[in-house]
Amino acid sequence: MIAIDGVKKAFGKRREVEAVRGVTFDAPDGEITGLLGPNGAGKTTLLRMIATLVLPDAGHARVGGLDVVADRYAVRARIGVLSDARGLYPRLTARENVRYFGRLHGLGGAALDARIDTLFATLGMQSLADRRTAGFSQGEKMKVAIARALVHDPDTILLDEPTNGLDIMSVRTLRDELRALRAQGKCLLFSSHVMQEVAALCDRIVVLARGRVVASGTAAELVERAGTAGLEDAFVKLIGSDEGLAA
Amino acid sequence: MSPDSKGSAAGRMLAVLRKEWVDMFRDRRTGMVTLLSAILAGPIFLILIFNLIASQAERARELKLPVVGAIYAPAVVAYLERQQVTVSDAPADYDAQIRRGDLDVVLVISREFAADVAQGKSGSVRLVFDRSRDRARTSIDQAEALLRGYNRLWGEQRLMLRGVASTVANPLRVETSDLATPQQSGALVLFLVAYYGLFASVMGGMAVALDTTAGERERQSLEPLLMTPARPGEIIVGKWLAVSSFNALVVLLTLSGFYMTLKFAPLPPVGVPFLFGAREFFRFALVLVPMILMLPAILLYVGSRARAYKEAQANVSVLLFIVSLIPMIQLFTQRREPGWLMFVPVSAQYSLLNTSLRGEAPALSQLALSWLAPTALIVLALVGVARRLSRESILSGK
Repeated sequence: MIAIDGVKKAFGKRREVEAVRGVTFDAPDGEITGLLGPNGAGKTTLLRMIATLVLPDAGHARVGGLDVVADRYAVRARIGVLSDARGLYPRLTARENVRYFGRLHGLGGAALDARIDTLFATLGMQSLADRRTAGFSQGEKMKVAIARALVHDPDTILLDEPTNGLDIMSVRTLRDELRALRAQGKCLLFSSHVMQEVAALCDRIVVLARGRVVASGTAAELVERAGTAGLEDAFVKLIGSDEGLAA
Repeated sequence: MSPDSKGSAAGRMLAVLRKEWVDMFRDRRTGMVTLLSAILAGPIFLILIFNLIASQAERARELKLPVVGAIYAPAVVAYLERQQVTVSDAPADYDAQIRRGDLDVVLVISREFAADVAQGKSGSVRLVFDRSRDRARTSIDQAEALLRGYNRLWGEQRLMLRGVASTVANPLRVETSDLATPQQSGALVLFLVAYYGLFASVMGGMAVALDTTAGERERQSLEPLLMTPARPGEIIVGKWLAVSSFNALVVLLTLSGFYMTLKFAPLPPVGVPFLFGAREFFRFALVLVPMILMLPAILLYVGSRARAYKEAQANVSVLLFIVSLIPMIQLFTQRREPGWLMFVPVSAQYSLLNTSLRGEAPALSQLALSWLAPTALIVLALVGVARRLSRESILSGK
């Protein structure tokens, strides 16, 4: 469960760039919550605040009841993040990459190895496990990054534009994995500027524009509220322009 | 899942250390270049220098002096031959040969030599050489010294014939006594060994330190790393220990290179019984410990300020320049070393390495002083990196 309450964040020397201007929403467990907005709407900043890497200027963000500022390391232990930065260590094998993060989460020994085997089996990448990641394709790298983000079995999972640069097969693998995680009762927060993707996957959608929440609800609710014929028109109407959105 | 209760600071630090070790040794290219240059460069240097010294010593022992017009001054030629000089007739194109470096020095005796001497004038001889050639310098100096010696001898004989004591013409007698012990000569060799030992401690950790900081940022693996429960301090101490241990390995290999070369290589005998035995090896390692630990910390700091490996390399060249310049300044100023030198990193170590090479043990008090500044710099650098890693701007590439 993620609870965001009046969170604000500005950057720059005189705090003149207001990236997030008072955002409030909840992302419940067992659901995939989509964070949809054009480029520059504040999605990445918001996710980084939840991931405790960026401190909010005002408001509170809680993950499983823990404050992202006061309990930042406890929060880190229970979130898994798949961000746009999916860099791996090219000289380490897929298994070693994931094992490193497992150890940083305090895991180790046979339990860790068993966990990695399970993850690799789920992602269908046993054959890649002991190869160095240097020559991996984008899709293969993405699988390692997912395994790395999930190695400590987090109950909250943040995904920032996870489908960027992936081919269609990899996107399908990712969707299947996210649905499986939802079925396990995890809380998933998924940011994207691609409408179809959010519509296809998310139970609830939070529409973000210029650092504010402009609408939230299920896809059907959003269409109803906007009074438009389809989802795409609803988004454009809610955001106020179609700039920075992709169909 | 139980949050945060699992894992300790030491455990996470160890995880970073282990991962960095594997990563470093898998980097074949960097590893091979670093290790090979460490093992080979010292011996190659030593062999070249020893051969240079040996060939100079040989030239000094056996001066070969081509002479133009030997028949005009048979007494001069006879004197030179008595001094073990190999006198020969100079080739016609001796100017060109000297310019090319085939001949070191040629003596030209004037056609009027005998006539001038008979008339009571000075007989004139001319030495032809090219002083810009380092190799020729010993021969030139020796030929000059021999001719001056002959001049003095001849003058003293003339005075004696006139019943005048030679001291009348030589009111000043210059004697020299060289206090250098055998180990203290061969200053160039000493300088190079100390210099190279010091340099190894900079080069050893450079590539890996930049790869693990700027490289990590460039590969976009830093952000995921910072989202784990590992504190920035734990991450950087783990990395520092990994780079320092690699650096220590490189330094030890370099010193082994010196040791093995001097012990086993067929070096020409140069009359410089210069010492680099087990005792010097140990003293060198002891003196270099602060460098082995300090330079990785500084390199990590420099690396963490850069967005990419290339950028970090450019920044590091300034550090390299400073470290390589300090011993040069010390070599060329040649002043007695002031007491505060022990507080200056690099300078202090260079001075202590020289002490060790002269066969003396570095004083414990000096060793202790030489540790102060590096320790402070290590702490500052590591705290600096940890603070950078906690800053939000590290994510945005600023």
